[in-house]
Amino acid sequence: MTTFLWGLLLVLLALFGTPLFVIFGAAAMLAFVGAEISPSVIMVDLNRIFMNPTLIAIPLFTFAGYMLAESKAPTRLVNLARAVFGVIPGGLGVVTLVTCALFTAFTGASGVTIIALGGLLYPILLKEQYPERFALGLVTTSGSLGLLFPPSLPLILYGVVSSLSIDKLFAAGLVPGTILLVVLAAFAIQRGWANGIPRTRFAWSNVRSAARAVIWELPLPVVVIGGIYTGTFTATEAASVTAFYVFVIEFFVYRDLSVKKDLARVMKDSMLLVGAILMIIGVAMGLTNYLVDQEVPGKLFDFSKQFITSPAMFLVILNIFLLLVGMMMDIFSAIMVIVPLIMPIAEAYGINQVHLGIIFLTNLEIGYLTPPVGLNLFISSLRFGRPVFSVVRATLPYILILLVALVLITYVPQLSLWMVDALNAK
Amino acid sequence: MKFLRALSNGLVRIETALLVLFLSIMALLAFGQVVLRNVFGTGILWGDPLVRQMVLLVGFVGAALAAHEDRHISIDAFTKFLSPAVRRFVKVVTSCAAACGTFFLALAAWGFVSEEKVSGGEIFLGIPSWIGILIIPVGYCLITIHFLVTGAEHALERFGRGRRASGGGA
Repeated sequence: MTTFLWGLLLVLLALFGTPLFVIFGAAAMLAFVGAEISPSVIMVDLNRIFMNPTLIAIPLFTFAGYMLAESKAPTRLVNLARAVFGVIPGGLGVVTLVTCALFTAFTGASGVTIIALGGLLYPILLKEQYPERFALGLVTTSGSLGLLFPPSLPLILYGVVSSLSIDKLFAAGLVPGTILLVVLAAFAIQRGWANGIPRTRFAWSNVRSAARAVIWELPLPVVVIGGIYTGTFTATEAASVTAFYVFVIEFFVYRDLSVKKDLARVMKDSMLLVGAILMIIGVAMGLTNYLVDQEVPGKLFDFSKQFITSPAMFLVILNIFLLLVGMMMDIFSAIMVIVPLIMPIAEAYGINQVHLGIIFLTNLEIGYLTPPVGLNLFISSLRFGRPVFSVVRATLPYILILLVALVLITYVPQLSLWMVDALNAK
Repeated sequence: MKFLRALSNGLVRIETALLVLFLSIMALLAFGQVVLRNVFGTGILWGDPLVRQMVLLVGFVGAALAAHEDRHISIDAFTKFLSPAVRRFVKVVTSCAAACGTFFLALAAWGFVSEEKVSGGEIFLGIPSWIGILIIPVGYCLITIHFLVTGAEHALERFGRGRRASGGGA
């Protein structure tokens, strides 16, 4: 009875906006006190996960991402993409998708993409006569596209929590991430065609001058992604190099940012996000370890065995469950709390663990867009001054398209796994 | 109220300075280690543990500032639809609840530090491990203070005093 009351209280507090890390921490402390174990074991788990060498990648990539977002890199990137893709119908739509995906991979799907790139692209889309609803849905959807591409934070965090190799996850995300990008691009092209949006002429001179402007940033995705894929760098080393390199080019080569005026502010802004994420990671670890100790995954599996008889059926239920999770929880909490619970169950049904990771993240990516609590909807509503309801309506066709891609990614494991074999990722 | 404002402003200034310091050390040392390892085939022995230590420090100091700026990850979909007066009341309640939670987390962390004092080893260069984890209870205490100040500010705002400059979106 008291357990129930405590649970109810915590859920209510969470729904009314109490920070989630406090809720998880309180739940973990109550659980351990109830089991007559000292709650200090939560801190043992917290310290252990903070000392995980891969975790270093999170502050460093976030710092790099914020420096890029605060500089004029988004403008330069968009200019190059327009020079390349402007010639196809709906070209600007494709530009939006491609640049946002790249950017999200680097900034970790935290709303920075919508603020930095969406804010830049939305007015241009409207100026080039794209329908408002299409444009609003596009920038909202693009805010979490690219989640499956390295070096995205959710991918790294998934690796930390699941103890799967980050390199394998990075390789696995490549094809599914590209599929999401391609289906949305196809939609953008179709809409551009149907609305008779004027195209720009293709000229090598434009591409050349746009590429020259972005010459210092252009190697970043190539070096980072290539370096990780070929095994030259670990994710952590890539993060160290990226943070340092971005710092040097934005502060001293392009001079978009000044050490005196901007450095402390950008550092602080990026580390606020990191602190918020790390707090959740820290306490959630204790909570999930408690649940695993109590053999909750095993019990869940025994329970589900009665209804779920085949792996295919399990995947259907998993998708529905994860979409619901994505509606209610942010991606970082979801990874910390849900992954350790479903991994053993999925294994019992014979689902490949790396494939499971990709399914999980694709679902959560869609969860960014689903009401009532999809993060992108609110950021977009705030950024573009439109009511949440309009944003939801504008995003609907994109959600449907993404759901189709999700089915494909879920039921064709080879899409995730062949790249792992092809690159021989370890 | 004035005292609270001064306290929280002072804390924010110190925390920001520390954050810049810790992140700079982390970034420079992490990069330095990559260069040493890949170019010179060597490395600083205590470099990697120190970088990991910085993650812990940056995490907690960043979290303290995030508490001040109201940027912790939370479900805010439902409070958006409340009237401003109700929302302020809810904010007071949730801030106090959060402060209460982090206070107990600080106690739990202090328990961990005490255990580590008795049985812990050293992190590097002879520094005992309990020094390294001291930031956990300290960090939770800082977060508690920020939550309390936020709660107090929202409670006092009812009387038209102390407009609070809010932190803004993500």
